[in-house]
Amino acid sequence: MSLLQSVKNLVRSHSIHVAYVDVGSCNGCDIEVLACLSPRYDIEQYGIYVHNNPREADILLVIGAYTPGWEEKLHTLWEKIPDPKAAIAIGNCPISGCLFNRPHSLVDPPVSKHIPIAAEVPGCPPRPTEILSAVLSLAPLVFKDYEVAKR
Amino acid sequence: MTGYLYEKDLSAMKYAILTSTRHDRVVRSIAEELNIPQIKLRKWMIDHFDMMLLENLPARYDQGRMARETNPPLEKKIGAALYTRAVPLISDGEMERIKKEVYALVKEGRPENDAVLAGREMIRDVILQ
Amino acid sequence: MKRTVDVSIPIGPIHPCFKEPARVKCETKGEFVLSAEVELGYMKKGIERIMRGRPWQEVMFLAERVCGICSVIHNMVFIEALEQMSAIFVPDRAALLRVIVNELDRMQSHILANFSYCYTIEHETLAMYLLDVREQVMDELERITGARVTCAYIVPGGVRFDLRHEDALHLKANLAAIEGEVVRYMHMFESGPLIALRSRGIGVLTREAALEAYAVGPTARASGMPEVDRRLRHPTYKTLGFSPVSRTEGDNYARIMVRFQEVLESIGIIRRCLDMLPEGPIRGGGIPGAGEISYSGEAPRGELSYFVKTDAAGRVLDISIQTPSIMNIEACCHYMLKGVTSLADVPSTFVSADPCIACTER
Repeated sequence: MSLLQSVKNLVRSHSIHVAYVDVGSCNGCDIEVLACLSPRYDIEQYGIYVHNNPREADILLVIGAYTPGWEEKLHTLWEKIPDPKAAIAIGNCPISGCLFNRPHSLVDPPVSKHIPIAAEVPGCPPRPTEILSAVLSLAPLVFKDYEVAKR
Repeated sequence: MTGYLYEKDLSAMKYAILTSTRHDRVVRSIAEELNIPQIKLRKWMIDHFDMMLLENLPARYDQGRMARETNPPLEKKIGAALYTRAVPLISDGEMERIKKEVYALVKEGRPENDAVLAGREMIRDVILQ
Repeated sequence: MKRTVDVSIPIGPIHPCFKEPARVKCETKGEFVLSAEVELGYMKKGIERIMRGRPWQEVMFLAERVCGICSVIHNMVFIEALEQMSAIFVPDRAALLRVIVNELDRMQSHILANFSYCYTIEHETLAMYLLDVREQVMDELERITGARVTCAYIVPGGVRFDLRHEDALHLKANLAAIEGEVVRYMHMFESGPLIALRSRGIGVLTREAALEAYAVGPTARASGMPEVDRRLRHPTYKTLGFSPVSRTEGDNYARIMVRFQEVLESIGIIRRCLDMLPEGPIRGGGIPGAGEISYSGEAPRGELSYFVKTDAAGRVLDISIQTPSIMNIEACCHYMLKGVTSLADVPSTFVSADPCIACTER
């Protein structure tokens, strides 16, 4: 492994930028992601920074059951995130549609049909600690030796 | 990047809003009062209102109905405040013109109900033109 | 209304300050906002369409998921509508427990709204303080109901779990701590000169405009309309003797301050409930039957109305939900945002109305 790669590994393990996008949920998972910011869970002690800018994000948290408004938008948003990147589905909605996936509803789950999902956190809604541990356990798998793996 | 990223055609979503129970009731009662075909009224609303106003239509309509009772009787019957402020179907200027014409009709000796009907006809013409 | 302008600046749907996707289109002249429109369609799940034809046992959980932030009140209004329809009796203890849980939910929702506002005006310190207080409220909510967000605590004829004695003591002790902190942060907000610069006199909603758009909840109460509080008409709340908070400025500052004061008001209500809490059963039983009703309750954001029609088996034939955010966002985008002097104030004004897009679109 080259020196450059080890430097990259070191930097990436301490700086994970997270963006979240709500593609049609009930808001419950949204506020659980926000709760991760609170001093109790203190997401920033792990070097995770939550903001909502896809262009500087490493990890995209997808919340919600994919509504028609996001056709063509979610994929564009995914393309705007620079490599290496990963998407995590938060809550039951992006995995199965939860209880919105019924006849006559407008949603179109799962989200993995539309963008590649690397990890899933089930729950309605999942606890902030679960979201946090999902991000922390996924990040090294995706970002460590990314360039080597790509080759 | 080619193609429009943001300016998506929202008519389908707007139509979905307008077909919920309470919105449908409001559209039906306006259409009945002004004697406009429902489809044309829906189309007009989809073209001219933004989504938030469409969502809020029933609350505004009910509120406008209540406020209507405090206005002078003739204006209340035409729906002067209702169709300009609460549900902005026509502009204030047009409404002023219609009000004047209706008052003129009453002065000429037309029965009040006839004059109101004529006023509603004028509102319809403004919307449909 | 459709027209052509020089500059139309879109904000959203992905925006660092918005919790949920919404698109605000501002027509501007320089920095001055002439008018604004909100485009939705990012969260439309069609809950009302799913609800139709389903038994109330399923609709109860769907109703809760109309909005994840104020899930308790959705549950409460739907269940109380069913109770009114079928004349189901609620024991006194259960009625007071409902109020306690509902007020805890209101507290966390208001604190979250104020967090969002402080975050939007870039006062991160105060925002984080508030989020920390919110976690304490969430703890209490979890201790009583068993879940943080969607707890389905209220069932026809009562509530799901009893409040144990040690939980009541814990709640009382924690309320004192929360009150102390909220008062401190309220004074920080009140006296902060930079906060005042970003908040006072911005996004003014006059009483007339609030009436016209039928604004409800803290948004209307900040414009001098205390009578919009639906709690004044609720039988249990009537016995608790509280008076709604109201201010007259109608700007961003007033809206946030009203929420702070309502959090303190809620703490008072919970204390009174705990003092009055009688011993007794928490479930009276009862089966919802056929009927048709329009029932309203006071959600954290304002008046929430359910129009429910059921058949004899308790199946929901027709349902229509009017959430408070619909009116408040409408008032926000068509009245408050008009005349905002700087584009930087648009997100903060939008957030100050506590928009909940999931509610709005259902």
